[in-house]
Amino acid sequence: MSATETPAPPAVAIMRAEHVTKQFGGLVAVNEVSFDVPQHSIVSLIGPNGAGKTTLFNILTGLYRPTEGRILLGERDITHARPDQITKHGVARTFQNIRLFGAMTAVENVMVGHHARMRAGLFGSIFRPPWVRREERETRERARELLAYVGLREPVFERLAAQLPYGDQRRVEIARALASEPRMLLLDEPTAGMNPQESQALTEFMRAMRDDLKLTILLIEHDMKVVMGVSERVTVLDYGRKIAEGEPAVVRADPAVIEAYLGKQDS
Amino acid sequence: MSELRAQLLEWRAAVTRRLPPWWSRGLAGLLIVFGIILPFLFPSSGGFLNATIIAVAYAVMSLGLNVVVGFAGLLDLGYVAFYALGAYSLGWFGSGFFFKAQVHVGVSPVASTLPGIHLNFVLILIAAALICAGAGAVIGLPTLRLRGDYIAIVTLAFGEIIGVLAVNGQSIHVGSGMTLTAGNLGISAVDSPYFPGIGSFGLLDLRPWYWLIFAVLLIVLFVNLRLRDSRLGRAWVALREDEVAAVSMGIPLVKTKLLAYAIGAAFGGMSGAFFGTYYTVVNAAQFQFGFSIFILAMVIIGGLGSIWGAVVGGLALGYINNYLIPDVLNNIPSKLGFNFQLTAVEFGIFGFLLVIMMVLRPQGLIPERRRQLELTAEIAAADAQLAEVPGIAGGGT
Amino acid sequence: METTTISASPVAAITRPLAAVRRSVGRWGLIAALAALPIYYGITDLTNGYPAGVVAGHAVIHHDLSKLGFNFAEGLSNGAIWALIAIGYTLVYGIIELINFAHGDVFMIGSFTAVGLWGTLGLGLTTGALGLVGGLLVTLVITMIVTGSLNVLIERVAYRPLRGAPKLAALITAVGFSFILQNVGLLWRGGSPQSVNDLIRSQQPVFTIGGVPILRGYILALAVMIPLVFALTWFINQTRAGRAMRATAQDPEAARLMGVNVNATISLTFLLGGMLAGAAGLVYALYETNVWYFQGFKAGLIAFTAAVMGGIGNVRGAVLGGLIIGVIQSLADSRLGPQWTEAVVFGYLIAIMVLRPRGLLGEETREAG
Repeated sequence: MSATETPAPPAVAIMRAEHVTKQFGGLVAVNEVSFDVPQHSIVSLIGPNGAGKTTLFNILTGLYRPTEGRILLGERDITHARPDQITKHGVARTFQNIRLFGAMTAVENVMVGHHARMRAGLFGSIFRPPWVRREERETRERARELLAYVGLREPVFERLAAQLPYGDQRRVEIARALASEPRMLLLDEPTAGMNPQESQALTEFMRAMRDDLKLTILLIEHDMKVVMGVSERVTVLDYGRKIAEGEPAVVRADPAVIEAYLGKQDS
Repeated sequence: MSELRAQLLEWRAAVTRRLPPWWSRGLAGLLIVFGIILPFLFPSSGGFLNATIIAVAYAVMSLGLNVVVGFAGLLDLGYVAFYALGAYSLGWFGSGFFFKAQVHVGVSPVASTLPGIHLNFVLILIAAALICAGAGAVIGLPTLRLRGDYIAIVTLAFGEIIGVLAVNGQSIHVGSGMTLTAGNLGISAVDSPYFPGIGSFGLLDLRPWYWLIFAVLLIVLFVNLRLRDSRLGRAWVALREDEVAAVSMGIPLVKTKLLAYAIGAAFGGMSGAFFGTYYTVVNAAQFQFGFSIFILAMVIIGGLGSIWGAVVGGLALGYINNYLIPDVLNNIPSKLGFNFQLTAVEFGIFGFLLVIMMVLRPQGLIPERRRQLELTAEIAAADAQLAEVPGIAGGGT
Repeated sequence: METTTISASPVAAITRPLAAVRRSVGRWGLIAALAALPIYYGITDLTNGYPAGVVAGHAVIHHDLSKLGFNFAEGLSNGAIWALIAIGYTLVYGIIELINFAHGDVFMIGSFTAVGLWGTLGLGLTTGALGLVGGLLVTLVITMIVTGSLNVLIERVAYRPLRGAPKLAALITAVGFSFILQNVGLLWRGGSPQSVNDLIRSQQPVFTIGGVPILRGYILALAVMIPLVFALTWFINQTRAGRAMRATAQDPEAARLMGVNVNATISLTFLLGGMLAGAAGLVYALYETNVWYFQGFKAGLIAFTAAVMGGIGNVRGAVLGGLIIGVIQSLADSRLGPQWTEAVVFGYLIAIMVLRPRGLLGEETREAG
């Protein structure tokens, strides 16, 4: 857990899941999961492969509708909200397998991330009154700022996303998510494919994002070092059920968690 | 082979670098000027000008379909429906077909005395655009959750249904003895465009027709260019590339897709209205499935998603279909000893062109700007990726 | 399977209830929608009756189900032809997820080839029964070989090079080939429907069931379809090659890793589909007694609707779908008038695509993305 900070007393939960269940035919992917994410915290969601973590993410972001249960964002019930509405309400995400728009440049990808915050409609796009032109300009500048913020350099900005190296693509994805001005960021295995130095850099970056941008971060992770290093709270899933939750050190020692992983811990 | 290509691309890049920054605008301006003076270079009632007019109208259609298939990635195989609805808009609002009505807005003195609904052509263009936009949204609605090939089939089915309605419309009564369409006989005696000061367009002098459709082309082109580089245009490409990621980034799926269908349809309708008045008849036999494929071929051959590609594709196929094959090359088979005309194998030629294009150059004659970047950056990227070992120093170069 | 959820918005007013309707429609809902037409007309036939000719200046009204029976008899026979073609669509789609647009035109080439062979073999209206049967069997075999090979050729030339390309490219090539084949037909036998010898007297009734005459053509269609479908089903389920087809349809990569020659399996699929289309072509020529270069396009759309209705990728579904479409067509033809039939069939297609894309017997399909 972050060494120098004592967590504030009961923080407001920015997102809460209540008895969320997701069934696909006969398979119960997520089983009565309840948890909440305190505001401005960094929470990790861990569990063995197939535990239902990404499914839960998809439910939280509106791609799946839960079979039972509900999801609250602040005071708002977003259980039945569409993904684009959820983004508008301030939740952004990245994907386990990078899903950039290959036919667009890095800058354009990030500009798309800003879609929900822009107002130019059909006629605005056609006639381009001054306010639309300003909006475009500002969106483009903001996109470039975000790309720089995530650590990319100028020459990369106008490259097609499909041509960027893997590490750059991950960064673009984060920049794109940030472009929607979220309150909460969901990162699905952000350190996949990274070596220890990169993972460390990303860990620090997550803290920086949280502090600079007043974000709350929920991440799925397999890299235990990252999990231990960055999380204030860890939630553990196994076979769709929540089996443990709490501070990283506590969770790590929990026998149920150890058993779930059957000694296959990464570290 | 790829070395040759790399060499060509480098030369092209070198040349492009030398040109002043406004070169593409200058070129576009030059083309527009050429387009305007074109009728003066050819006989005003000749086959070539006729073919050009039709080719330009096809280019407008092609631009419309390019929005749906090219920008938004929705495979619409029923585009003929919008040709039909556009043409019928003209038939309904620019002729004596609804003979019980007496509506006259901005038409020639002669037309003002005739029964029926007679609106100025510009109003008909707007009506056609609106009707088709609505129809496009309706047709698109059932396809929103479907995958690519199913979208193709549903839109195709709609296109066929519209065709059936066009034929059977002569038995669908809309009140006071009037019917919806005139079936295969067609609505004839449609108005020619009329502008105060210029008068009615006649059939001998084709030049006003040309300038009219050229103006429509410029307008549609302008709208396309603006949309492509806008928030909406990016949203379309995002949906096309990865629907899940796009909606997760805040793009509303239904609204964005329906807008693509509607806008694409509106352009088709405008061109359809023009065809209706240019051909002076609107009959059901004009609206066959083959037409949808014809327009699709223009978009594909020109370059899917590319605006200039759509224009080039439309012009090229329009010329081939209406000039090259019937007027110029028609006799070649007989000269070679076969006893058929080239027009008889037109279908087959198009089919062959489609196959060749897809196998050899699927990105089309003028690839979409973004794909073009892809091609030129190919070499650089290949090098970069060879040097890149995943996981090391993830920062950009 | 990703579903997006709907919330308040004007469009949602349409799409939310639509999604709810969709979920509740299910298989029985689809069956009900399909059965509605025959049930409705059966009831009106019994109660209001239907005109069946004129006697002494007065129209004769019957109150029985024999007109409906006729619709079924004609429908199932036509449907048998569509079923054979639909199988080709469904097999190809199941294995490479591509709508073989040219398939209907392969059927047309089958008809043309069959008719051409009749001339070569000297089959005519005066040929004796034994010679006729023998000649037709030879025609069947040769036609099936021709169309099977044609389908394989199309796959090699048009689809295989584009296997890695976006689906749109392959679809376009398919359309291109469709046009090429249509043009071949056009040059071969001209632009108008051409009538051919009624070799088996297809309109002659053989016997009557409950007032419904069973024509020779009906028996022919079913007599060709049923054995071929059984043979195909046996092949797919009981032979190694058939197993390879099923494996490749489920997961080409895994099949390849297990040692299946995926390319050969795909070619085999096209071969079988093409052969069945050829058989359908021969039956069509004998039954309808005319051929037309454009018949493939029409038949193709109808057969594809059948394949989708039954459940794409599913052979039994294709057969079921074909038979059902045939009956719907017959009902529309005789009750609404043939000028509306196409609209009715396509209306059903759209309804199925919207409400239950997996059709009657298909598995859950991936819908978006």
